[in-house]
Amino acid sequence: MCRCCPGLNRRSLLAGGAAAAAALTTGRAEARILPKDMVPLIGPGFRPVDQDEQGIWQLMDRAEEEIAGSNLLITDPRLTLYLKEIIGRVGGSAAKDFRIYLAHIPDFNAMMFPTGFAVVFSGLLLRMRNEAQLAGVIAHESGHFLRRHQIRSWRDQRRKTDIFSIAAMAAGVGGAGAGVYLGDYVQLAQLGTLLSLFQYSREMEAEADAMGARLIAEAGYEPTEMSAIWQQLIGEETASARYRRKHRRRGSLFDTHPSEPARMADLKIDAEEVRQTGHTYEVGKERYLATIAGIRPTLLDDQVKLNDPGASQYLIETLAQDGWNGLLRYYEGEVWRLRNRRGDDVRAGQSYAAAVGYPDAPADAWRWHGISLMKAGRGAEAKSAFARYLTMKPDAADAAWVRQMIG
Amino acid sequence: MKLARKFALLAGLSLLPACSTIGAGDYGYSSYALVEVRPRAVGDGSLTVTPPRPYNRHRSILWQDVGDVEDWTQNGPYLDGISFVSGLKSGRYLVRQSKRADQQVPKFRSDMTPPEIAAMLESLYRVRGGAVEFRTLSLQPRPFLGTNGFQLDYEHLDSDELWRKGRAVGAVIDGQLYLILFDAARSHYYATILPDFEAIVASARLRP
Repeated sequence: MCRCCPGLNRRSLLAGGAAAAAALTTGRAEARILPKDMVPLIGPGFRPVDQDEQGIWQLMDRAEEEIAGSNLLITDPRLTLYLKEIIGRVGGSAAKDFRIYLAHIPDFNAMMFPTGFAVVFSGLLLRMRNEAQLAGVIAHESGHFLRRHQIRSWRDQRRKTDIFSIAAMAAGVGGAGAGVYLGDYVQLAQLGTLLSLFQYSREMEAEADAMGARLIAEAGYEPTEMSAIWQQLIGEETASARYRRKHRRRGSLFDTHPSEPARMADLKIDAEEVRQTGHTYEVGKERYLATIAGIRPTLLDDQVKLNDPGASQYLIETLAQDGWNGLLRYYEGEVWRLRNRRGDDVRAGQSYAAAVGYPDAPADAWRWHGISLMKAGRGAEAKSAFARYLTMKPDAADAAWVRQMIG
Repeated sequence: MKLARKFALLAGLSLLPACSTIGAGDYGYSSYALVEVRPRAVGDGSLTVTPPRPYNRHRSILWQDVGDVEDWTQNGPYLDGISFVSGLKSGRYLVRQSKRADQQVPKFRSDMTPPEIAAMLESLYRVRGGAVEFRTLSLQPRPFLGTNGFQLDYEHLDSDELWRKGRAVGAVIDGQLYLILFDAARSHYYATILPDFEAIVASARLRP
């Protein structure tokens, strides 16, 4: 979820591995943290009183201003209101204080900043299967804030070393010095650099998990969905790595230490503990799918065009567990076409042909179906597919080229 | 093939005079060389163009780009760039990349149609340029190097929050990709450099 959560983000694995290694070598107690012990450490309208925390807040207020004005944000009112409602529901004692932003970045990530604003990456919306899962991620992030993890972690690091200072944070030097992956996303990555100074310990992650499970259950969401999020992330990483013929956690301690499965198991126990007899818990699948329906094609497009076939294929197949449709078949074809190995053109052609059999097939499926037929020497059928494409999308950007193909 | 985005972020941290190419971890030294106003063979030498005014060739020293590709700029690669692809063979890539990278620029194949080449370029910008939005504005037939080629117009929002706009003119000749690609900040730089690009495209000749 947050970039600084060890192990949760696929690109900060080494940083996470190092944190886990440190935890192991210091022999940190591995006792499970109980949801019932997870009480918020701050109340509504919290403002910092200590000088160091006030300094961090000033810096983060500037960061929030930058983020709020970024053109990388998705400002669709339906989606932003939806996220706001969810954090208002699972935000515990700070529910009314949180702000939440949706960034158009195709990555599985969400992060909470020390002043109580969260940034959710659009790639997260592609991967969540229902509202309870999305609420679970947001509740986990809220947990970091409610348990004051950022300031605790900051003070802990300050104790260990004095190379960090607020000035160093402002210059973005800390993250680079710590060898933390800065991300591809320049503006947000600069903020991510600041955030990387607030690396959470495994204990804090366990706290956020337990707190998250408790928060979503109290809000009436099915608490077992928290562990399903992990399953999805682990599955996707494994599929991506296997495709590139590498281990998921090459060179990190996670190869030998099953921390994530253990964490998943803990979340399952948490779910049972927070569940109360007589209560009903919802997953909110229909509401979730209806809310993201408009943006899902864009989310799929963003993912598939990164040409990470293992991950994309895994994602499409998990989404197809709710039923195949024209959109998913089309993007399945796109995965093969971009992968471009021997025989992939045939596979892609089959997917496009399947896609156009569904009533919801996007216009682009007809275009690629036409190209695939044309390359297979089936000219007449290709022309009819191209004609269908132009009927559906008369002002297509490539209409001039397609018309030339129709002849 | 150089794209501005990713290394612009890292350049400030790495204190290198410039970075030779984009992509996570791919840093290297590079230098600029003057391109004079006269016919000049680019890339592997099979394509000759004449710039309308002097240009800067952005040359890699650590050999991180493919030899069939050459990059020029007027105001620095962050703001504008013209790239030449001179006869990329089937099964090759526009950029050097690790076979183990999770996200990869698709390989070129000689039987690619213009929409497939356009999609390959889109993935180049998304994978190596950090583009979070990419819009194809137009894909149309256009004669190039005396054959039936294509012109792709596009714009993209990159992770540095800057919109950039580009035009690529290309053709597949004897199974090899020839392409001249122009990409610049959408405001000001695109319109300013576009006439240069068009003059360069008009001057392009294949080595006999």
